Parts: sequence; C-alpha cells; structure tokens
Amino acid sequence: MRRITLLAAALSLSACSSLGGGDYGFSEYSLVRAGQVSVGDGSMAVITPRPWNRHRPIFFEDIRQVEDWTQNGPLLDGMSFVTGLKNGKSLIRQRHSASQQVPLFRSNMTPPEIAAMIESLYRVRGGAVDFRTLSLEPHPFLGTSGFQLDYEHLDDDELWRRGRAVGAVIDGRLYMIVLDAAKSHYFDAALPDFEAVDASARLKA
Amino acid sequence: MCGRCPNFTDNSLTRRSLLAGGAMGAAALHTGVAEARVRPEDMVPLVGPGFKPTDTDEKGLWKEMDRVEEEVAGSNLLITDPKITGYLKSLIATVGGPAAQDFRIYLARIPDFNAMMFPTGFAVVFSGLLLRMRNEAQLAGVIAHEAGHFLRRHMIRSWRDERRKTDIFSVAAMAAGLGGAAAGAYLGDYVQLAELGTILSLFKYSREMEAEADAMGIKNMAAAGYAPMEMSDIWQQLIGEEDASARYRGKHRHKGGIFDTHPSEGSRMVDLKADAIELTVPGRKYEDYRERYLATIGPIRPMLLDDQVKLNDPGASQYVIETLAEEGWNGLLRFYEGEVWRLRNRPGDDIRADQSYAAAVAYPDAPAEAWRWHGISLMKQGRTGEAKGAFARYLQMKPDAPDAAWVRQMATS
Repeated sequence: MRRITLLAAALSLSACSSLGGGDYGFSEYSLVRAGQVSVGDGSMAVITPRPWNRHRPIFFEDIRQVEDWTQNGPLLDGMSFVTGLKNGKSLIRQRHSASQQVPLFRSNMTPPEIAAMIESLYRVRGGAVDFRTLSLEPHPFLGTSGFQLDYEHLDDDELWRRGRAVGAVIDGRLYMIVLDAAKSHYFDAALPDFEAVDASARLKA
Repeated sequence: MCGRCPNFTDNSLTRRSLLAGGAMGAAALHTGVAEARVRPEDMVPLVGPGFKPTDTDEKGLWKEMDRVEEEVAGSNLLITDPKITGYLKSLIATVGGPAAQDFRIYLARIPDFNAMMFPTGFAVVFSGLLLRMRNEAQLAGVIAHEAGHFLRRHMIRSWRDERRKTDIFSVAAMAAGLGGAAAGAYLGDYVQLAELGTILSLFKYSREMEAEADAMGIKNMAAAGYAPMEMSDIWQQLIGEEDASARYRGKHRHKGGIFDTHPSEGSRMVDLKADAIELTVPGRKYEDYRERYLATIGPIRPMLLDDQVKLNDPGASQYVIETLAEEGWNGLLRFYEGEVWRLRNRPGDDIRADQSYAAAVAYPDAPAEAWRWHGISLMKQGRTGEAKGAFARYLQMKPDAPDAAWVRQMATS
C-alpha cells in the first residue's frame, strides 16, 4: 500500500524495504528535538512540544520545500511542512507522462482550489478511494488570513485516515502544515502537537 | 518521497487487464496460438449448475479462494447499496448460463474500468465500470464475459498450465514467489486487499481464453435478449479512452510491449462484431435497456464521476464524459467537464472551466458545487456582484456545506 507521507509519495513498506535503511547503512529517519526547529527549505520555523522523527529526504524524489515528520511511522501518522511552494510546482515529484497527476499549484489559487489539489494528491498518489471534506474555514496562519481544511479518507489498505491542513499563500507561494493520521487514536493523539506547531509557525527573516 | 518505488508512479497498466487479459495475452500469441475466431456456437459451458470440484488440486484452490472471498466480502471498499448490488446479481443470474444461480458478485469502489471472475464463481466489479457503461446491455456483456471464464473453467486450466511450467505446487508457495510487483501490474495499485492481487496474478488468461470468454459471453448475452453489438462497442470505448488518456500526456497507448506486437484488441472488436451478426436472429427484438440502467445507476453517478475526474487524468475523463454526453448534455456532465479543465490547470484552462460551469448552472440539474465553482471563477475575474449571487445560490442549495464558512466569508466580504 502506498502512503503519502504527505506530499511525499507513498511509502510502500514492502516495496521499499529492499532498498531502504539498513542496506545502505543510513537510517531513513533523524531525530527532531523538542523546541524550535527550521523546516522545509529553512524559510519557516516551528516549535514542537515533543520530539518527532524527520523523514530523510530522498535525493531524487524529494521536493526541497516539503518536509515530513512522523511519530509512529508513516502508515499511522505524519506531519508535513510545505514551505514556499512556487507557482507551477507540484506538491510531489511526478513524471510528466503519468496518466493521473496531482494538479500543479498556482499562485492565484483560492482555498477551495488548494483543498481540491490536496484531495487529488490523496486520490492519485495515496490510494484514497473515498475522500470527504469535513470543513474548510478561514484560519490565521503565519500572521495572515489563511485556511484550515479538515478531511478524512478511506485508503486502499481499508483504513480510514483523518487529516487537517492549515496554510496560506504568501507572496504567491504556498505555506502549509498538514497532519494526516489513522482516524482511530493516532489523529487525536497527534493533534495537540500539530496545534502547537501551527500556533508557533513563523517565517524566518 | 519514495523514489525507490518506481512502480507506484504510474498506474496506467490498471485498465488493461480487462482489455488484454493481462500481459500474458501477447505472450500467448508468440507461442503460436491460433488466431481464428472462436465461434459462439462452439462454446458450450463446461460446468453445470451447482458445480463443485472433485480433483485434489482444484479442491485446494477452491479452499484458498474461499478465504479470499471472505476477505473481499468483508472489505470496507465495497459499495453495499442493496439496490445496486441486487441489480448486479440479477444481471449475472440472467447471463450466467447454467451457473447463473451459483455466482456471487461484489462491487468495489475503485475508479477503474475493470471486472474479474474468481475460480470459485464470485466476481468483483469495479465502480469505474458502472461509470463507463452506457446501458444495461454493455454491463451485462462484461458480466457475461467474466461468467464465460468460469463456465469454460479457465482458472483451473491456466493454473494447471502455469504449474506445469513453474513446478510450484501450491498456491501459497507460488504467491510468495511472485511478490508484489506482479500484483501491481495485474490489478493496478488500487487494490491491495490482502493477497488478492498476488493471487489473481496466478490466473493469467491466454488470448485464446479471452476469445472463448468473449464468445461464451456474447452468446449468453444475446440469448437473454441483449443487443449483442453492444459488446464490441465496449472495447471501442475502452480503446478510445486509453488513446485519449495517453495522447494528453504525450505518449502512445501502446506501451510496455503488451500491445506492441499485434493489433489484438482491434481484431477482437472485429470478431465480436462478426459474432453479433451471426447471433442476431432475424425478427427477434434485442434491447439495450438504457433507461433501466440509468434509473438504477443514477443515484451514484455523481460519485462515480467525482471519483474519476479527481484522478486528474484529463484525456480519459474528458473521453468518458463526452461518451456519456452523446445521448445529451446535462448540468452534471457540464459541471464535471469544467472540473476536468480546472484540475488540468494549463494556461487557458481557467477560461474553459469557467465556460463549463456557466453552462452547467443553466441546467436545472446542476449540482450545488457547480454554483460554488462558478462563483469562484467569477470572483477571480473581478465580477464580484455576480460571484456573490452564485455563492448565495450554493449556500441556499447546501446550507450545511463543509466549506460554508469560507464561502460565507467570500459572499459577504
């Protein structure tokens, strides 16, 4: 099964295991200590109340502006940061020839369009067969008027997951933090951390 | 991020299994399988009512498959609306030949053009098939084809054939050996129901078996009074859609060697046309039961369209919508046409989407979402007054919409 550790593609544990971690002598994860930390391309800083695990960027698939964290592994929970995605770029690296594609970000996108882009991300790359928007409302983010999207999705591993994205478009670039976790237990367990991270997020000078 | 999983980046193979019967079709051609048309009149069912296996290997296979069916039946990916599942059951009971009363049929919510028959006589139909079929005769045709595989005992035949070749003696051992990649190619990467994908990949039908299932299926379909010519139209639609999808992404449908060597699907279509002519009894009335089909599928059609369009496969989605619109446009189809452009998001697509939304809201059946997107489109053009009117209409139709808070802010700011 494929998990998008947000914006990053899915981690099919079975398919990846042969090339993952141990074989090459490095870990896929590194520790994020509690406290202030820079994320993504370094243009955003957040304060996390607890330690998390940062997904190591994979050299040829990673989007520089996207960073993924997890507490219990990407199948169960993940927090992702999008730091200044530019006009015309995608949340995830994809082949031009792929039949199904995650829509490109445009600077003039409204929150419903960003929400639709996120929905297609889960459907195209996350194996979601059902996706329900629970709410989309205004939400202050990085000191500007942004949005908060709440959603849940049923994936092809027959598990319901729940997500929340907070974000804003600033100077034509997308900044966003996304929590996505198994609906039972894991979403609620990670929510306080997410809320603290959201409230503390700021752009670095 | 998982660039180490290249097989997950493109699922263009998924739709092919129905068309080509998997990659083995081409391989069978190379081994010299005769290409003469299998005549429907030569197709007799090899099983009777209440068939049960007697050979040891087939009994073992059935035992494994009972476990698989249990998995499938309990999956939360199934659509369980009794009206629609009852409809599918009645169709397989109509075109299922002697085993009509023995079949089980499950509907999975997977936006793909596919259906499959398992060795023990249960079928899984993907919801994407219901989106694409234009009438009951077409759906009955696909189901009759799948039933044909069972009636001709294709699974045990191919299983024995495969086992001879590979010298592996149990389903489990073979499944373990095949691994996940085969499953990905065969079923697409939507379905990871337990070992379903892997197990299915054991049943590779040869071109000859596909031809038999076509001939058996069209025979049973025509006998039930369905217009047999619809069967070849299905393939035409599938091929048309794959071409359109590939063209949009600047590639050829003929990819990966499955179709490269032979115009197999073309000849299959020709064969089915010949079958249809042969089977048509002069003076007998054949129906497509389009009205009954639309009345049954109607309530879930918005969901089926939504599932397809949001995959952002503009070529395929546009083809599907235009095919459905051949019998007339409506607000629902115009709205989803707009969604195709909006998600494609190339220069000029915003104007195309805008036109589709504007056309959609002129129909009485326009969904509430058409008004919202129409409003957003107007707002971006600076036509604030009209945008507010569209937002107000959206909120009036859907006061509890999940994005009502955001839309309300737009409508009043």
